[in-house]
Amino acid sequence: MQFERVWTAANWERLLVGDLFNKGVMGGLLLTLVLGLASIVAATLLGAGIGVMRSSPRRALSLPSAVYVQAFRSVPLLILIFWAYFFPPALGLQVSKFTSVLIALTLFTAAYIGEIVHGGIRSVASGHIEAARALGMDPLETQLRIVLPQAFFNMLPALTGRYVVSIKNTSLAFLIGLADLTEIGKQIGARLMTAPIEVYITLLMIYFIVNRGLSLLMRLLEDRRRFNRIFLRI
Amino acid sequence: MKLDWSILWGDAGLLILQGLLVTLQLSAWVLALAFVLGLAFGTLRWIGLSVAEPVCWFYVEFARNTPPVVQILFWYFSASYLLPGWLFLQLRDFGYEFGAAVAALAIYHGAFIAEVVRAGLNSVPKGQFDGARALGLGFGQSLRRIIMPQALRITIPPLVNESVAIIKNTSLAMAIGVTELTYQYKHIDIFDFRGVEALAAVTVIYMMLCTLAAGLGHLLSLRLSRHMTARRGLRPMLTSE
Repeated sequence: MQFERVWTAANWERLLVGDLFNKGVMGGLLLTLVLGLASIVAATLLGAGIGVMRSSPRRALSLPSAVYVQAFRSVPLLILIFWAYFFPPALGLQVSKFTSVLIALTLFTAAYIGEIVHGGIRSVASGHIEAARALGMDPLETQLRIVLPQAFFNMLPALTGRYVVSIKNTSLAFLIGLADLTEIGKQIGARLMTAPIEVYITLLMIYFIVNRGLSLLMRLLEDRRRFNRIFLRI
Repeated sequence: MKLDWSILWGDAGLLILQGLLVTLQLSAWVLALAFVLGLAFGTLRWIGLSVAEPVCWFYVEFARNTPPVVQILFWYFSASYLLPGWLFLQLRDFGYEFGAAVAALAIYHGAFIAEVVRAGLNSVPKGQFDGARALGLGFGQSLRRIIMPQALRITIPPLVNESVAIIKNTSLAMAIGVTELTYQYKHIDIFDFRGVEALAAVTVIYMMLCTLAAGLGHLLSLRLSRHMTARRGLRPMLTSE
């Protein structure tokens, strides 16, 4: 084992922030995290919309979201990334690598989160909705103040799983040439030539630590009182 | 932009069909090996040997929390260091990309299947096992004939999801040059400049494959659980796609 060849200060800098300080290009773990967190936030918002539509009794709302979920769940993410990166130029649009990966990852993850939200909404007892309506809340207010906060709490374990997958999925960005953690690792591996085991174990360890950390952070929220204090201010 | 769909009826179409064949082979290998791994490790964790537990934990958590594409790169680039020389040279003659992709994806999905299997086994009341043992069935026999059939029913839906995920994740094998569907799209894009047509064709094929797999799995789960009044689905916390 020759980890000392991989774990030099220069390599660590590239693995963590890419060429940020040399050429001003963000990369490495920083890019992975930015991409992952941005797509997590965007996909959660989009997925919440899809899930609410999916749970609507009106077919005009639930059918399109069901079709969306089914369509995006039966295509590999890699194919979506290729669509987002290679199709816009055919229409004469310029889309950066970062944006196209972000769009693909968001659309893909939103389909899964839509299903999770749908399940979460169904887990809220219908008496709560009836009570809210009886108290004079309109349907939107009922969703925002009564249904979604409760559903969100029930969805936490499944959402954690999804978020971890999102972080893992950012690793596909290197296939269209974005300098994320995996790409930097590949470059270091190619330069050292004879230390692939050490390089890839380092990469796997970084991903493992990030994902376990994310899981543990999310698990903190699964405490009801802490959840209420943070999201409901009670 | 002008689209020329007729290329799909020429050489490009043949390339895509070859890619489809490789994707199917890859999926079948991964599916079979991942099930074996998952069954072994899931059962091992259910038995709860304190000696095996750290090993199982390490395998399952490490495989589930790291990106499959990095695992593929790891097994591909480290193969010449990990395998004995004669074996590696033999494998290299066939092109060991395929083998590396199968190994990496089987290990990755095996960890998820192990968790599904363990949860399924845990869902069978402990009394069933004790009863089987009390009636004189051996350990393996009670596991195989009493516990497994009951666990199987509720693990079918997550296992179907896992199979669909395997089909989708075979697309990652293009990262090391396995000539499956996604690779063939890249090939057509680079050599014929017909990327959009090829990508559309490949997308449709993936959609059909996944819908077919999910539909078959749904039929299977209906068949296996038709005598049950309520179906309890399992939702593993981490997912693989």
